[in-house]
Amino acid sequence: MKSGFPATFVVVLALGGSTLGFVLAPAVQLGGIQQTTVLNTADIYPPQRTGDATLGLQVYRANGCAACHTEQVRQDGVACEVVLTAPGANPAAVTNLLATLTLTNLTKEAADLVAGQITGLGGKVETHIVPNGADLDHGWGVRHSVAEDYLYDYPVQLGGLRAGPDLASIGVRSPDAGLQLKHLYAPKSVNSNSRMPSFKYLFTVQKIGDAPSPDALNLSGTDAAPAGFEVVPKPEARQLAAYLLSLRANLPVYDAPFTPPAKP
Amino acid sequence: MSDDIKSSLPQPPSDPQPAADHSTLPIWIIVLLLVLLFLGGLYFDNHSGWFQPQVYAPFASADQLEMYQPKSGAAAALARGKVVYEQVCGLCHGIDGLGKPGQAPPLAGSEWVTAKGFNRLAHIPLMGVNGSIKVEGKDWNMAMAAMGAALPDADLAAVLSYIRSSWGNQASPVTEDDVHKLRAGMGAHAAPMSGDQMMAMPE
Repeated sequence: MKSGFPATFVVVLALGGSTLGFVLAPAVQLGGIQQTTVLNTADIYPPQRTGDATLGLQVYRANGCAACHTEQVRQDGVACEVVLTAPGANPAAVTNLLATLTLTNLTKEAADLVAGQITGLGGKVETHIVPNGADLDHGWGVRHSVAEDYLYDYPVQLGGLRAGPDLASIGVRSPDAGLQLKHLYAPKSVNSNSRMPSFKYLFTVQKIGDAPSPDALNLSGTDAAPAGFEVVPKPEARQLAAYLLSLRANLPVYDAPFTPPAKP
Repeated sequence: MSDDIKSSLPQPPSDPQPAADHSTLPIWIIVLLLVLLFLGGLYFDNHSGWFQPQVYAPFASADQLEMYQPKSGAAAALARGKVVYEQVCGLCHGIDGLGKPGQAPPLAGSEWVTAKGFNRLAHIPLMGVNGSIKVEGKDWNMAMAAMGAALPDADLAAVLSYIRSSWGNQASPVTEDDVHKLRAGMGAHAAPMSGDQMMAMPE
């Protein structure tokens, strides 16, 4: 073999280079990642999962949920919004000024200028950070996904196709475990447009004993069990629901800053 | 085997391993590669975040990510102070607070800035300085206009708080109320003062 050395060299270079770039560099960058704090609070993010939710990740994986659902929210950009909090001593001048200014969708530099103009007249302002993007417009989250979101996922269920909605913050959008279970059993009973298959095999249809089970699903119409019977979730279904409720990527962290809505 | 049959079989080529000619690499390819390398470098500098794990799209750099952190209360005042400082004060005193020889004394580590009270410090932007002023053991003979007189109370308080807590300085913040009271009570000394005259004022 005349080109033995160059060929070996190229193979080592290609494999070594990709190992460096795709395995070693990310491990160096993010291998030591830990819980972080929510911006401007002492709260820890992400919270540790409960046992049921940890097992639920494996149910999620076993049922191939990631084939149709993603857990990754993208963000196109970030903008600033200047909000007047107090008009100050000269409200008329501030009102006149506000009428001439653009207050939303500003860059940070432009927002600083606008804030300077308003405070110059004695008004008080706050600058809010507002992420934007198509995924966020869908209501699938309030910020892009960050590495911390997946801290307790093994393996990470990123998904690559969205036949169904993104689930990165499903626990915030739909925090009712009963509704989640009902949706798994009979998707169309919760959302008439749903294309999700029913996961009936995660549930048992059993005869009602002395009293109806407290876990029985609240079903109606053709989905309901025959008279004298009830539908109760198996442990897998309960774990899967617990996992779905643990997906709550909606808090501001350093990598994905935004101003959270004020608490009422 | 007869010669007839032998000659009808395909014959091996006379030169079984053809070799490519040697030719020089055209100079325009080298130039093109260098231009591409340069553009790639520019793109990398603008978009990579220099491999910092916390920086990714839509943020291009750690500085930009820091800039877009939402701030409230004291942190917001400091962020505002930085903006005002860089617009109003930074040209002479330097973005790094080290001052410029012959033009403006340093603020980093200056005893005027880090004093316990901010009374003398706040008078400097409000009235200006005229004459000699001793900073960190060195005499500065210069004039500073009342750069802060036109700033709103909130901005002046923010910029004072900013210089008192930056570049290693660790002095207490100044509130908007403090500046308001000070401004209201200082009508008598509107003219710029020298360092010695200011030393006569309470700290």
